[in-house]
Amino acid sequence: MNVLEINKLTKQFGDFIAVDNLSLSIQDGEIFGFLGANGAGKSTAINMITSLLPITRGQIEILGKNIVKHSKFAKANIGIVPQELAIYEDMTAYENVQFFAGLYGLRGSLLKSRAEEALAFVGLEDKHRSYSKNFSGGMKRRLNIACAIAHRPKLIIMDEPTVGIDPQSRSYILNSIKKLNEMGSTIIYTSHYMEEVEEICTRIAIIDHGKIIAQGTKQQLKAIITNQKNISIEVRSVEQLDVEKLRDIVGVNTVELADAVIRISSDAEINNLNKIIQQLMASGMEIRSVEADEPNLETVFLTLTGRSLRD
Amino acid sequence: MNILRIAIKELKVFRDFKMAVFMLITPVVLILILGTAMSNMFNGSMAVGDIRVLYQDNSTPGSAIAKQWESFAREAGKSGILFEKAGGDKDGILEVQNSQYTGFTVIADSGLSYYGNNRSSVEGSIVQGMLAAFADRYKLAAEVAKADLKLPANPAQPGAGGGDYVQEASLDAAKQPGSLDYFAVAVTTLIILYSALSADHLIKSEKKRHTDIRLMASPITKAEILTGKIVGTFLLNFLFMIIVVLISKYVFDANWGDNMGLVILVLSTEIVFALGLGLGISYIIRGEASGAVIMIIIQIAAFVGGSYYPSEDSTGIFRTLSSYSPLQWTNDAILQLIYADHISASITAMLLNMGGAALLLTIAAVTMRRREGL
Ligand SMILES: Nc1ncnc2c1ncn2[C@@H]1O[C@H](COP(=O)(O)OP(=O)(O)O)[C@@H](O)[C@H]1O
Ligand SMILES: [Mg+2]
Repeated sequence: MNVLEINKLTKQFGDFIAVDNLSLSIQDGEIFGFLGANGAGKSTAINMITSLLPITRGQIEILGKNIVKHSKFAKANIGIVPQELAIYEDMTAYENVQFFAGLYGLRGSLLKSRAEEALAFVGLEDKHRSYSKNFSGGMKRRLNIACAIAHRPKLIIMDEPTVGIDPQSRSYILNSIKKLNEMGSTIIYTSHYMEEVEEICTRIAIIDHGKIIAQGTKQQLKAIITNQKNISIEVRSVEQLDVEKLRDIVGVNTVELADAVIRISSDAEINNLNKIIQQLMASGMEIRSVEADEPNLETVFLTLTGRSLRD
Repeated sequence: MNILRIAIKELKVFRDFKMAVFMLITPVVLILILGTAMSNMFNGSMAVGDIRVLYQDNSTPGSAIAKQWESFAREAGKSGILFEKAGGDKDGILEVQNSQYTGFTVIADSGLSYYGNNRSSVEGSIVQGMLAAFADRYKLAAEVAKADLKLPANPAQPGAGGGDYVQEASLDAAKQPGSLDYFAVAVTTLIILYSALSADHLIKSEKKRHTDIRLMASPITKAEILTGKIVGTFLLNFLFMIIVVLISKYVFDANWGDNMGLVILVLSTEIVFALGLGLGISYIIRGEASGAVIMIIIQIAAFVGGSYYPSEDSTGIFRTLSSYSPLQWTNDAILQLIYADHISASITAMLLNMGGAALLLTIAAVTMRRREGL
């Protein structure tokens, strides 16, 4: 049975369509990534899955049951880590977890042990009695996760859980997601960070303007663009660069600038590296390194949408 | 169970020690400041000196009752209670309703009737007591009705048979609120009304912390969430109210009368009213403006409702406005309980408080049901 089955899901805010005819199914044991730029419609989709927003059209089933008809069942089987921190700062870490887990029907000693377990899981076992207002950003993010997992939901939904935190907390969180998954939870992970999604997700849906524009495993997605190659050229300065001239070169699809690095995506079959380098040197640019790399999700996104994921 | 869980959470969120101390110190200091600063307004003679009663004498001229009334009125005048004869063109009851007079009494051969101004409760009680004593002494039938004819007639208590009516009914110092006594009541009811502000924050605070997301995503109903939050806030404010009453009673020696149970009950209904007011307005007016609107309502209610000076002393438009102030009807109910042992005003106040709360909470509940979130 699929943990989550979404069929032609649409959300309209007035005339604006935020989620557009979205269909997907997620199986038991997956870490499923929603990848998309800010405003793509990821949170809106998640808010419908968690019954926070009414559905305009389409159906959602959790563990085979329609979430509108079986709202309590659906809610009881989901743990949500909202995009924004959702904790009581004037309660202790333990009280936060205990309160939210209690809403899912846990009682007494079971509630206590599950709450402790959840805090230990996110590495806050020695912070039970500390007020969360005194926590660092990373610790608050971890508590935000603990509040969603103490009731051991079948499906854990994390909406950009790593926004604005230090690299150490980020890798801690990514590792704990893998661990949660190994312990039996199915996970939906949304992000606009390509590397994170690439690192942990078993399958990925790329969402743009409310639509899924591609979905599959990393390999499947990259296969979409195997006819592409990426060339990164580091130069001393990009000031004199004439981007249009580079684009005019046969085979070149996109040209992007990042600091002193020129990223070019080009048809794989056409050997045009010589022409590119010639063009750069003709403009009087000093080349420091040239690299041709494997396509990554960034290139996939760029190819499919014509835009970069990074804002 | 879920309701209880959320109610307990409300209490935990509030255990900020500094905040609790602030919330307790504010009323206690207010009672002290107002009680001391305004104490000259509360010398027994002053309150009594203010009493003016209109009368109309329909009895046979020269009869025993006419003579007795004359001497009674003269005697009462010495103690500061002025009985003024109604001119032919004056409608006595109207004058009383307009609060020009504390009461209006008609003397007939068969007995007395009295129309009280239900706003000047303490003074009205004094007059009623005196008239009852007069009637009792002269074996007249006393018939007392409130000016507000919708309310049931409130029969005057007969005086304790035979004693000197003037002294007996009016000048019993213990039956008059001193300054501290008065403000212990007035500040307590004022502070309770302020809990409307915390009710206004009930839902806003969840939204601000985004915890409304978790609440809404968990398998409990909106009704459970709202009920739990209301119960929790009620308990919190109930606790504060009890502490303020106890401090004023045992530290300041304020008089809370012999009907403490009923006083607490009336105060509790005011808490419910305040919570209804806060929630109702926060649902009617979305966003930050609701707090300002509630603040304005509280200030007006306090100004005309006797929080800063006894509303019995106010005149004209303020007097008219005061009857719409929840503080006025609650203060009145409690003062009548303490100083006149009258229960009817409490019942009115409790009905008004609970009725108002029911209306406002219904508005909140209906609005919430229609909304997507909380
Ligand atoms: N309640 C709402 N009313 C109107 N528009 C909304 C609402 N919520 C989201 N949107 C719009 O829907 C689009 C998708 O938003 P969102 O789902 O938050 O994107 P993401 O999570 O992918 O960054 C955005 O353009 C946003 O402005
Ligand atoms: Mg989002």
